[in-house]
Amino acid sequence: MLSRTLLGFVASIFLVGVAAAQSVTATVAPVLDDNLPAEAAPSGKPMTVEDVKVGTTLENLMAAFNGESNANAKYLLYAEKAQAEGYGDVASLFRAAAKAEEVHAANHAEVIRRLGGKPEAKIEKVQPRTTAENLKDAIEGESYERDLMYPAFMKVARADRQRDAMRTINYAQVAEAGHAKMYAEAAEDLVRMTDSTGQVYYVCPTCGYTVTEAEYATFTKCPVCFTSAKTFEKVS
Amino acid sequence: MLLPPLPTWDSLHPLVIHFPIALLMTAPLFVVLGLTIPRIGKWFHWSALLLMVLGTLGSWVAVATGEAAGELAQRTPAISEVLERHEELAELTRTFFTLLTLGFAAFLIVPLARRKEFSCKVAMAVVLPFLLLYGGAMLSLVNTAHNGGLLVHEYGVHAMLPLEALPSESE
Repeated sequence: MLSRTLLGFVASIFLVGVAAAQSVTATVAPVLDDNLPAEAAPSGKPMTVEDVKVGTTLENLMAAFNGESNANAKYLLYAEKAQAEGYGDVASLFRAAAKAEEVHAANHAEVIRRLGGKPEAKIEKVQPRTTAENLKDAIEGESYERDLMYPAFMKVARADRQRDAMRTINYAQVAEAGHAKMYAEAAEDLVRMTDSTGQVYYVCPTCGYTVTEAEYATFTKCPVCFTSAKTFEKVS
Repeated sequence: MLLPPLPTWDSLHPLVIHFPIALLMTAPLFVVLGLTIPRIGKWFHWSALLLMVLGTLGSWVAVATGEAAGELAQRTPAISEVLERHEELAELTRTFFTLLTLGFAAFLIVPLARRKEFSCKVAMAVVLPFLLLYGGAMLSLVNTAHNGGLLVHEYGVHAMLPLEALPSESE
């Protein structure tokens, strides 16, 4: 009698568990992001990952290091321009993204050294235009990195089985996707941001993942690299 | 025949995750057997504790190696969402089973310290709520595993295993 009661008890717990699991997992819709390329190839067709010129993993990381270093310098100039034009919120976003690019450059540099290379960047002179134009330029740059450059570099790194390179590329790609989204939102909402005084962003010191203050409050560990949220750098 | 290449920390996840699942799912059966066969019930309960301890240790290793593997997982918004849920559930599951294992260990150790067995009534009063809580933890475990399965089989997120030479596709 006792054993039947117990077995029934355990069986009912199991069945309730299975039913609840099905109801929870039903909410996970397998919607894949196509990562559509943002640019068009010279032929007029949309550019694909295959169209990106790639080299060895080391060469790719050198190129990425150069790109991140230039992005850092460029965004700091764009931040100054945005501040001068009265777009405090946009200036904060540029500063946060610049911080993230600095993290990416440092990560790339570490792997480059590990692979026997020397990280070198040629900082190009940039003349900031209006904030609206700067945002457009930033969206294009980030979209290219997110959709084309980093996926292409990742393919090479994976084929070379270079784990450290894969990690730093992955970190950068995820953060750039976030930047592109935030820049696009800022560009859409630019009028409202006139005379704004600035906004707080948090940047992961390990992977450069960048979030707003509201999003920062929703996690205890970085969703990308699992670094404690307490170590995130506050940028405003 | 030689041993396969030694796994790196970030490739260990797929090799270890099945242990805590199997061990922690089996443990409650031993708890029930312990209650239903009182003559040797104590030994079933100690066996259950051993399974729980091994399973819980496995869950700690699974979470740590999962984080290392997750750093190499190529993301899309959908993958990030499932990965985050998988990670959160895994941590929750690990906490549940750590507490349950400690609780069950106390249930077995306290009578030893007092040199007096619990009465059948007391044992039931402890074990039945324990099993109920264990059912909740198993629910969390099943969901964690399901999200891991989604990542691998629906989204194609794989840990990178250590390999030597691979035959090329064209051969």
